[in-house]
Amino acid sequence: MLRHLFKLTWNKKKTHALLIVEIWASFLVLFGLASLIIFNARNYLEPLGFAYERVWAINLQNNQDTTDVAEKIQQVVRHLGTYAEVESVTRMGSNFPFAASQMSNGVKYNGTHSMMNFYTVDENFARTLDITPLAGRWYQSADSVGKHRPAVINQKAREKLFGEENPLGKILNNDGENTWKVVGVIGNYKDKAEFMENKPAMFELLYADDRWNSTLLIKTKPGTDALFEARLVKDVTAQLKGWSVEVDHLTESRTNQHNLTLIPVLIFLIICSFLLVNVALGLFGILNLNIAKRKDEIGLRRAMGATERAVKQQFLGEIWVLATLSMLLGLLFTVQFPLLHVFDVASGVYLLAMVASVVIIYLLVTLCAWYPSRQAARIQPAVALHEE
Amino acid sequence: MIKLQHVEKVYRTSAIETLALNNINLDVQKGEFVSIMGPSGCGKSTLLNIIGLLDEPSRGVVEIGGRRVEKYRDRELAHLRNEKLGFIFQSFHLINDLSVLDNVEIPLLYRSSSARQRRALAQEALEKVGLSNRMKHFPKQLSGGQKQRVAIARAIVGKPEIILADEPTGNLDSAMGNEILSILQNLNKDGATIVMVTHDDAMAKKTHRLIRLFDGTQVL
Ligand SMILES: Nc1ncnc2c1ncn2[C@@H]1O[C@H](COP(=O)(O)OP(=O)(O)O)[C@@H](O)[C@H]1O
Ligand SMILES: [Mg+2]
Repeated sequence: MLRHLFKLTWNKKKTHALLIVEIWASFLVLFGLASLIIFNARNYLEPLGFAYERVWAINLQNNQDTTDVAEKIQQVVRHLGTYAEVESVTRMGSNFPFAASQMSNGVKYNGTHSMMNFYTVDENFARTLDITPLAGRWYQSADSVGKHRPAVINQKAREKLFGEENPLGKILNNDGENTWKVVGVIGNYKDKAEFMENKPAMFELLYADDRWNSTLLIKTKPGTDALFEARLVKDVTAQLKGWSVEVDHLTESRTNQHNLTLIPVLIFLIICSFLLVNVALGLFGILNLNIAKRKDEIGLRRAMGATERAVKQQFLGEIWVLATLSMLLGLLFTVQFPLLHVFDVASGVYLLAMVASVVIIYLLVTLCAWYPSRQAARIQPAVALHEE
Repeated sequence: MIKLQHVEKVYRTSAIETLALNNINLDVQKGEFVSIMGPSGCGKSTLLNIIGLLDEPSRGVVEIGGRRVEKYRDRELAHLRNEKLGFIFQSFHLINDLSVLDNVEIPLLYRSSSARQRRALAQEALEKVGLSNRMKHFPKQLSGGQKQRVAIARAIVGKPEIILADEPTGNLDSAMGNEILSILQNLNKDGATIVMVTHDDAMAKKTHRLIRLFDGTQVL
């Protein structure tokens, strides 16, 4: 019977050309959507690698004041540590967790070059964000005695640069004359929130005389409220005449980051749904029409011994054959994505997206063909064969 | 082989009620060749459909091969049609998108058979109607007479005991019509029971028995 259906569909390929194109296009669109969703969902399931609850970012801006900038910032760091509400303080650049800004650098080890997200942070960073190194330890200011700057890398960076080799104590460099000594390895560091891909990251020690990196992260005690925030801003502004002080709560910045990912996905999803609903309605119409046109054939098959069920299955089978042909054409395109590593996305994402799209297309065509096929099965053979 | 008792068929549409068949009693023996005649609209097709289990009578009893079918369900009726009955229609009802060979194989799709068996049986049936050289053709490439021969091959491919033909020569000129009739006569000689609706007196005369219908009633 399957062979028969293939023959029937194949011989009618000209009549079906439009349907095939429609299913083919829907399949490609679905594949795009599914890839996007699966890519993001997989990222979401990867842990962030740090704790952001109760952490605030205090951004200091020196504006016109250019005297003793580094010393003034360090003073504020020490001052913040004196509050009973503050558990821990750390200083870093403007690329703090969930912030819009980011920085990346190329780093080399033994000829292996890799781009990574790059952070300049002080010794209290790991404690403030609850990061436990997987190997080695977080650096301390005291580590900066040699000519190499102490650094910590994450697991992804380790895989890229070192493979199986032990990274601890190894020296990294870049195209300039900077060198770093790896003292620790941490797990994930997804500072653009859950939907971010787990990427290589590297942290270097922030020196006390640094004038540029002026964001302070504080971890507050549970129950700390806006009253404290007001007091803190007032105190810091009093200390830093002419500077601007701005506080971000990481929980809020995280939500913003989520929206940045989710809103485009949602828009794409809505557009695709409209498209698919349209295709489905079109398909339903065409199938209904086809069945009306093929009454003759239905009556004939019934006369030759087809049961109602066989007629229904034939019509469903035909649309499955059609969907299969369309998707085989579609797969010729979509398999290029994992083969050519398009967008540098893991092959698993594309494969899963293909499977999901195939399943959804089969469901969709079945849904559209179900009612018309059942109608076809219910046509009385004597009526179908009636000739004037 | 075919037995009808007090068969009545009423068609009810929203406004009108048509009595298409009125108290039909019929007994066709195995190996008989029976023709049915009557003016247009007198119920010939309706009668043939009821014999062919494509339609149910409103009243009365239908027996095919000694089996009363009134309690039969779709699956059993389909099975009986497939095994015991072969149909030939005035307008051939070939599927244009299938080759001659594939058209002839259709009845075999609804019973268990291998592709090889189907092919062999279809070739055999096409040989019987003298069309073994047209197997790869499509219906559009055939003349009316050839199409009807394909339809006959399709009707006999499953080796049914009964062949029901509804004006099989209605769309053909007399030469082709006679050719079709002689094929049917040969099938009858080989043992098939045939019931044929026709408008042609000359053809009816060549069959064993004539049944005349008028307005749903059997007059002969
Ligand atoms: N499905 C139907 N619904 C209503 N009336 C029908 C139907 N089929 C046939 N009839 C009516 O039944 C009568 C007999 O029809 P039919 O058996 O086709 O006649 P014939 O084949 O002798 O020309 C006609 O009056 C026809 O209009
Ligand atoms: Mg008729």
